[in-house]
Amino acid sequence: MENNIEQKIKLVMSDILNIPEDLINESTASDNTDGWDSGNHIQLIVALEEEFSINFDVTEFESMLSYMDILKLVKAKL
Amino acid sequence: MNEAHTSNQSAKREAQLREAFSLQVQTGNRDHAIQFARLLLKEFASAKTYRYLGKVVSSESVVDFGLKPYRIALLSSFSIEFMKDALFALGVANGLLIDFYQTGFGAFRQEILNPSSGLYQKPMDLTILAVEGEDWLPEIYGRYTLYSSNLITIKENFKHELTGLLEKFRSYSHSPILIHDLAQPLYCLLGIAEGSNQLGQRELVHDLNKLLHELCSRYSDAFVVNYQTLVSRVGGNHWYDLRMKHYARFPLSQEAIGELAREYMKYCRSLLGYSKKCLVVDLDNTLWGGVLGEDGLEGIKLGPTYPGSAFIDFQQQILGLHSRGVILAVASKNNQQDVEEVFAKHSSMILRRTDFSAFEVHWNAKVESLKHIAYQLNIGLEHMVFVDDNPVECEQVRMHLPMVTVILLPPQPEQYSQALLEEGWFDTVSISTEDIKRSALYEQRAQAEALRETSTDLEGFYRDLDMTLDFSPVSAKNLARAAQLTQKTNQFNATTRRYTEGEITKCLHDPAWITAVVSVTDRFGDNGIVGLMLAHLAEQELIIDTFLLSCRVIGRTVETAMLAYLCEIAGSVNAKELIGEIIPTQKNPPVRDLFERHGFALDNTGETGNSYWRLNCETSKVEYPAWFKFIKNQ
Repeated sequence: MENNIEQKIKLVMSDILNIPEDLINESTASDNTDGWDSGNHIQLIVALEEEFSINFDVTEFESMLSYMDILKLVKAKL
Repeated sequence: MNEAHTSNQSAKREAQLREAFSLQVQTGNRDHAIQFARLLLKEFASAKTYRYLGKVVSSESVVDFGLKPYRIALLSSFSIEFMKDALFALGVANGLLIDFYQTGFGAFRQEILNPSSGLYQKPMDLTILAVEGEDWLPEIYGRYTLYSSNLITIKENFKHELTGLLEKFRSYSHSPILIHDLAQPLYCLLGIAEGSNQLGQRELVHDLNKLLHELCSRYSDAFVVNYQTLVSRVGGNHWYDLRMKHYARFPLSQEAIGELAREYMKYCRSLLGYSKKCLVVDLDNTLWGGVLGEDGLEGIKLGPTYPGSAFIDFQQQILGLHSRGVILAVASKNNQQDVEEVFAKHSSMILRRTDFSAFEVHWNAKVESLKHIAYQLNIGLEHMVFVDDNPVECEQVRMHLPMVTVILLPPQPEQYSQALLEEGWFDTVSISTEDIKRSALYEQRAQAEALRETSTDLEGFYRDLDMTLDFSPVSAKNLARAAQLTQKTNQFNATTRRYTEGEITKCLHDPAWITAVVSVTDRFGDNGIVGLMLAHLAEQELIIDTFLLSCRVIGRTVETAMLAYLCEIAGSVNAKELIGEIIPTQKNPPVRDLFERHGFALDNTGETGNSYWRLNCETSKVEYPAWFKFIKNQ
């Protein structure tokens, strides 16, 4: 189950940020990933909301700046 | 457990559809690819699906598989780029390969007013001006107070600004333009007193929208998007996403994106001549509940109580479409006699037997029925919508006739009307009087066909038809119809050049161009404007740019009279020769021998298969057939 969530997040990130899934890991963050710009950030939020049927707040938008941040936040909402 | 099971099935279905779509794209089967794209969008509408369709089509390994390149300029008061994925995907489902031009949010005024802006650097097929009411006129939305409201000034300013923008846009561009109307504020300042007071916002927005429609109607190819209708259909609380409004300057929800992109597609289809013309319906569990062959005349469900009431509603919607010019046909596996009895005797039937121009009721395959209907009514399969409750029938039609648009009805009859109407397949940017008359015209055509069978010789048939032709130059009066004819006519169309009203207007201002529309009246009624000729004079040659005739009057020598008319005009403008051009398309075999039949000599054949034909109209002009009466307006 836990792994499943991680897998799904990686898939979504790979789709939006156009990077291979296996390159996404615990150190992946917006400041070290080309293509994780403000436009893609919105798309990523929308895609995660869609994938997990959850909603984020605007304050959360601003805190989702790395794979680990996202994982933590998504887990907390499921 | 159950839920997991369904979600697995759904994931499997999604994967299958994706694979099928991708395969059809790779193998270059455009029509099949479009069918799968539509299924994916229908069953799995999501940002993920939009992205998937986009990625497959844009992938480097994909060669051109026949999507029509289409340029859209997006001008907006918000970050409209978040709509691109959806628009691109819906474009694919409509046969388009969309390329976007876009500027930063809020830059729409500069972009339109500046003749050297990027907007005008390349010709656009469509320009969309998407401005939220709140951004046009904050003083009547979020900033509305009773202190500030000088309503007359607000209206005047709006009118002034909009006129300026439209005026400039029209002088710098021929692109059709869509402008959103203003949505109502979700909460009005006056609350429950709204409407009982002249200072209400609702009334004001209503007036401004009226003004917008009026201004747009003064310019060619300027169309209003009924944005407020979309907002109310989805519901304001679902339409807007206030988080995204504040965080990303993009006020729309994902649901709104889908709905709005779908709305834009209706305009694209209409402008490209892709609007559907004919609705083919099944009968059992479509027009009524139950199976006629088993339940009998008395047993089918059609009447004031559910589910019969839902079928009545559905028939009403179909009748509505028919009244605005959609041709109706039936394709049903049934006994014809039983069906005739329902039409003749069932007291709750809304649709009449005479509303249908073609009736395929037998036990043969529906694929054959559809082909036969297309042949009988002279309508291309790509202009047909097939509606059935049976997934197997739908699947067969998708597989064997992928150019047909297929609507599989949902299991609940109360949802039929929405399934029929939501995509707006039949929508056109304008409804002409010809559209309204059309259904009757197709019946006339059937009667004329019957007459042809009884007339012993062809000339006698033409004389019996008692036809009067009316030739008039293109003018403001018939401009919309002229443009519509170029967009819709496929079969008897020598060059198949599609023109907007704006482009035709250019010809009207150029003395070298000669334009004429042709109307035909016969003993069965007035067919309205059915033909168009556009020609331009170059030295002593009159070159026929466009020569087309609606299929409903093909086979009556109207084209001969049209060429005779051109010969006469050529004489009056001192042109010695008439030059015809044939650009072959899949659809236009009926027109290919037009010039040859009328004594033109083949001049040369171009590389792409188009041919040029030449007639010396001083020595061998085309004569008017003797069986027509004429009205010629100058």
